Amino acid sequence: MSTIAVIASFGEEDQCAQAVHELRTAELGELQTFSPFPSHKIQHSFARPKSRARWATFTGGVTGVLTGLAITIGTSWEWNLNVGGKPVVSWPPFIVICFELMILLGGIFGLLGFFAFSGVPALEPAFGYSERFGSDLFGLVVRCDEPKASRIEAMLREAGAQEVSREIINQERVVADA
Amino acid sequence: MSVEAKTAEARGRGVADIIYTPVAVVGVKTTVVGVILAVLGLIGFAAGLARGEALTVWGGYLVNLLFFLSVAQGAVMVSVSYYLAQGRWAGTTQFRLAEAYAPFLWVGLVLFFGLYFGRAVIFPWVLHPIAQKAAWLNTPFLFARDGVMLFIMALLSSIFVRLSRGEAARAWILSPNDIEFPPSPIRRITPVLGILYCFFYSFLAVDLVMSLAPLWRSTLFGWYFFAGAYWSGIVTMTFTAVILRSQLKAGNVFTRPKVFHDLGKYVFAFSIFWVYLLFAQYIVIWYGDIPVETFFLVQRVHHMPWSPLSIACAFLIFLIPFLVLMSVRTKEIPSILGLVSLLGIIGMWLERYVLVEPSLSLDAIPFGLTQLLITLGFLGAFILCSIPGLNRVATAATAGEPIGEDE
Repeated sequence: MSTIAVIASFGEEDQCAQAVHELRTAELGELQTFSPFPSHKIQHSFARPKSRARWATFTGGVTGVLTGLAITIGTSWEWNLNVGGKPVVSWPPFIVICFELMILLGGIFGLLGFFAFSGVPALEPAFGYSERFGSDLFGLVVRCDEPKASRIEAMLREAGAQEVSREIINQERVVADA
Repeated sequence: MSVEAKTAEARGRGVADIIYTPVAVVGVKTTVVGVILAVLGLIGFAAGLARGEALTVWGGYLVNLLFFLSVAQGAVMVSVSYYLAQGRWAGTTQFRLAEAYAPFLWVGLVLFFGLYFGRAVIFPWVLHPIAQKAAWLNTPFLFARDGVMLFIMALLSSIFVRLSRGEAARAWILSPNDIEFPPSPIRRITPVLGILYCFFYSFLAVDLVMSLAPLWRSTLFGWYFFAGAYWSGIVTMTFTAVILRSQLKAGNVFTRPKVFHDLGKYVFAFSIFWVYLLFAQYIVIWYGDIPVETFFLVQRVHHMPWSPLSIACAFLIFLIPFLVLMSVRTKEIPSILGLVSLLGIIGMWLERYVLVEPSLSLDAIPFGLTQLLITLGFLGAFILCSIPGLNRVATAATAGEPIGEDE
């Protein structure tokens, strides 16, 4: 059985989001959208679980705090720093270092996590992309098995798609894109 | 465009077609409770004085005056900052909520002059003037300047609240998709109020808190004080919202998760701001280690019985809101948000208590029946002042208005 890509274009953000919602509920295929601007509505319609990038940020933050503690406490002990008769390890000024390192490493890890998990940068346009999806249309690509294609096309038209086309894609390509 | 034209335009879009049926959820029962509490307060006040507990009475009086003034003014400033930041996302309900406590400002002004009769008890510089500071710390000047400041704030706040409740402002709030400034009278008064608030509440902090320990100084103290006041307004609003949610008919604004999410974010953010200022102040004093600066902190952080209370403040105002409200889900659960904000209210009251009382009574916590009754009395007066405003909140909350676009 060959795999089909049904490509639909929408003039309205709401229609596209609605179509995503319906197809997702019906579990008819694998969906991908293109939008000329970042759309929260379409994003919400996918109802995806939260990104794993947040764990990268968290790890970075914790690493930062621990690094800060290691640097401040470690150097204070190593050099036996006595500042104005205060205890060698006094926490109030260390908070500042730990806080700053938490922000710094949390930010850097978060950024790296974002690149690692989002697939950005994508050097070649994704399958089904058309230049109009970058200017005035919303695109929706549905990958599915051939028998389901006509039902999907009907649903897309009903949701308000301007154009619906069908392309046969080979199996290898799907794996590479996924 | 004239006010009428703007209103008509808003009507045309359908946002001002909402029918406002006055809702009086907060009525007789609350009034009775308020009156009883206020009377109890008077009794506690009189009995305390009659039993010769002047220091306890006036200490409690000052703490509560500072706290409830902070809440009333802080909440008005929340509304002011909505306008300054063009924050129409909240719909009218949150503006009404922030303005509900404003009438207490007038009561607070009158009660402030009550301090005149207790001045010799609580202000050490009245009986033992400090020569270098006498030009600033003397009775006539202090009561004159603080009285004028509180009067100006009460007056401007009342004018502002009146403007904000007007047709034009409401039409502006309800048309969040227009890129347009608020009505021009509001545009003029809000920056003035914002700047005066920072100045005047800094002065009040210096005059009514710092001068209780007249040798102490911290240049950041005023800022810290009014930022705390702002936060106490936010938590009181949030707690009120949670209470009203269950009191009003089904489908009111407070049943929408977005509203609590917004309030929760506000509580979370300004709790961090409070601790930031606290720490900024603490670390400078800690590093400098100059006795004239450190004694104020030592009395509160290291000295019994005050040490646990100070630490409790850090938990109630910062740690609990920070850890609990970090997630979106907990912000949207009314019982959790309500509990955190109630603890926040208690924490802010305790914070004002810990700022004031150790200067008056270093070795014992003077809290007893007298101070409890005085606190209840202030609470009663505060509730009585808030009733008309809360009914406005209730009306706005049940009118079925749109509140911002992404829900």
